[in-house]
Amino acid sequence: MKPRSSADIWLALFFLAFALLLVLVWVPWDTGTGLVEKVRRKLEIGDALGPSVAGTVIAIGALLVLLRPAQANGLIRPNLVWMISLLGLFAVSMILMRYAGPAALTGVEGGYRPLRATAPWSYIGFLLGGTAMIGGLTGLANRRFAPLDFAIGFAAALGIALLYDLPFDDLLLPPNGDV
Amino acid sequence: MGVWDHVIAGILAVFQSDPVLGVPITLLMVLAGFLLGITVGATPGLAGPMAMAISLPILISIFGYSNDALLPVLGFLIGIMKGATVGGAVPAILFNTPGTPDAYMTTLDGYPMAQKGQARHALRVAHFSSASGDTFSDIVLVVCAPFLAIIVESYLDLPEKTALLILSLAFIASVIGSSVGKGLISMGLGLLAAMIATGEDFYPRLTMGQQALAEGIPVAAAILGVLILGEVFKALEDINRGDSSTAAPIQAQSGASRLSLRQLLPYVGRSAVIGTCIGALPGVGSTLAATLGYASAKRRYAAEKSDNDPNFGEGAPEGIAATEAANSSVSGANLIPVLSLGIPGNAAAVFLILAMDSIGGFNPGPSVFQLGGGIGDNSMNPEMVMAFGIFTTMFVANALNWTIGGIFMRQVGVLARIPKARLLPIVLLLTLTAIYVQETSMIAIWITLFFGFLGYLMRRIDMSPLPFVIAFILGGNLEATARQAFAATGADPFFLFNSPVALAFMLMSVGVVVYSLRRPAS
Repeated sequence: MKPRSSADIWLALFFLAFALLLVLVWVPWDTGTGLVEKVRRKLEIGDALGPSVAGTVIAIGALLVLLRPAQANGLIRPNLVWMISLLGLFAVSMILMRYAGPAALTGVEGGYRPLRATAPWSYIGFLLGGTAMIGGLTGLANRRFAPLDFAIGFAAALGIALLYDLPFDDLLLPPNGDV
Repeated sequence: MGVWDHVIAGILAVFQSDPVLGVPITLLMVLAGFLLGITVGATPGLAGPMAMAISLPILISIFGYSNDALLPVLGFLIGIMKGATVGGAVPAILFNTPGTPDAYMTTLDGYPMAQKGQARHALRVAHFSSASGDTFSDIVLVVCAPFLAIIVESYLDLPEKTALLILSLAFIASVIGSSVGKGLISMGLGLLAAMIATGEDFYPRLTMGQQALAEGIPVAAAILGVLILGEVFKALEDINRGDSSTAAPIQAQSGASRLSLRQLLPYVGRSAVIGTCIGALPGVGSTLAATLGYASAKRRYAAEKSDNDPNFGEGAPEGIAATEAANSSVSGANLIPVLSLGIPGNAAAVFLILAMDSIGGFNPGPSVFQLGGGIGDNSMNPEMVMAFGIFTTMFVANALNWTIGGIFMRQVGVLARIPKARLLPIVLLLTLTAIYVQETSMIAIWITLFFGFLGYLMRRIDMSPLPFVIAFILGGNLEATARQAFAATGADPFFLFNSPVALAFMLMSVGVVVYSLRRPAS
């Protein structure tokens, strides 16, 4: 990553615009009361003041960055590619985690919900999603997807599942609280 | 009931907690946390706050939300905090890889000593200095925190307390990271996140009508996302791009140096004072303490060393002693603002406050050290008892550090060989699972991932995430105090500037930002 002051300038402009949008549009549109409000003939601080102060602080910070841009690291294309890769991996893992259990019990009377706290059904989504997440992340980091990484991912996901599930009856593994 | 009654009750609360296998549970938890802390400290890529974050939901599941849960849970977390500081020196010395960021300066002399076959001696020096600095810092904490809290409670009214919170946030935003402007942006974002759905009106503000946000952002999701996931995403990308530096491991041989630990005492003492002063300031972390301790010792050493002694950076035990004493003495002192003001100074303190908030029954701040607990002169203040219980767990952790810490830290060097690319994804799944079992909602996981990406982006643009986290934690408190101060002063819009103390705090807030602007932009 190449340090450059233009990155700081773009950063400052982005946050300045964000702060203005926050204070002038988002806060007035999305809060129930103003900066101050009258309650039982007494003035009180309203719900809009806090977020407006937050926006002002962001704006001051952005102005200071704009006035004194440093030779700082900025986002570059590989960072964005990395983020998109992570997002894709998380989407796949979470879909597996959320739907693998119910899919395995399709056609069974009552479906997944009555069995969501019963092994092995309660583990299906977590193990598949967790294995994909751990193996996939290791593969992304090493630029090489290896079966061993997914095997380690499966073992780790199983270990984590047992860590929470065996000693605590009242805890639900993902996604069993949602189904 | 006097102060000593509270002290004794606090000590007894630790030593008379429910026994497990004949040992009080709080003592067992401190021991377990301490050993885990050394282990994660010795594992590059992991850090004390990560282990604290992952442990907290498990601990709450075990102990529940009762008052009896507080000391075992906090004892465990304090054990991790202290153990990780000691453990961070192990890979720094053996493999030239700091286990924790504040152990970087330890590599400068520790690794050259290891290369000369003095690894065992270097580890001994690191352990002795770390334990000394830690103990000194804890003594300062016990002496200072109650007095500071009493002064704050006696002399500061609501407007002054509001101004003090603003000063703390301004200080944190200014001193952390490379740029004041970015510190302020990070702080503003933290305040903004704290404001979502937390107003007094029936309409949950800033939620854009989204039901998922109507109860506010889950605290653990935001903090763990920014601090843990953000770091994991960045570290994995560094590996992906080949930026991760690893040094060839070397064998730890028995020590040959004859330098007595007593000769290191002046270096340890000076660094312990530096680290304690730095640690007492919110936001100034142990890495700066280690750097200042090392620089100060280097000047003294250059003036005193004989021709045969190695220079700093070439394997001088004094360099390890100065660094380890400084970074370890931060861990006790950083609880001074936590216990006396309710203000977390670093990531470890954030998780301690999170634990106190989650379990309830203990609200860190000036009222903790009020005699009588606001009920009557003869009643016991349970929060003060708890505070002295926390102090006791810290001294128990110190005792463990002096007795078994050195032996254990010499056994965990092998952990530095675990590849980060395998370890960090497991940490990530463990963190997400920890969030889910608390919140029982996949939306909480997506929120955590969102904040993880925010933390990643912050790191990539050289913006420290710590002001965000601390502002997120203090935001609600700041707004509530300001509301009360405004109402108590009869809706005076200038309530922050009317009393001399509040005015002084506000001027200092501006002053610290302006002064920090004079630093050369890096």
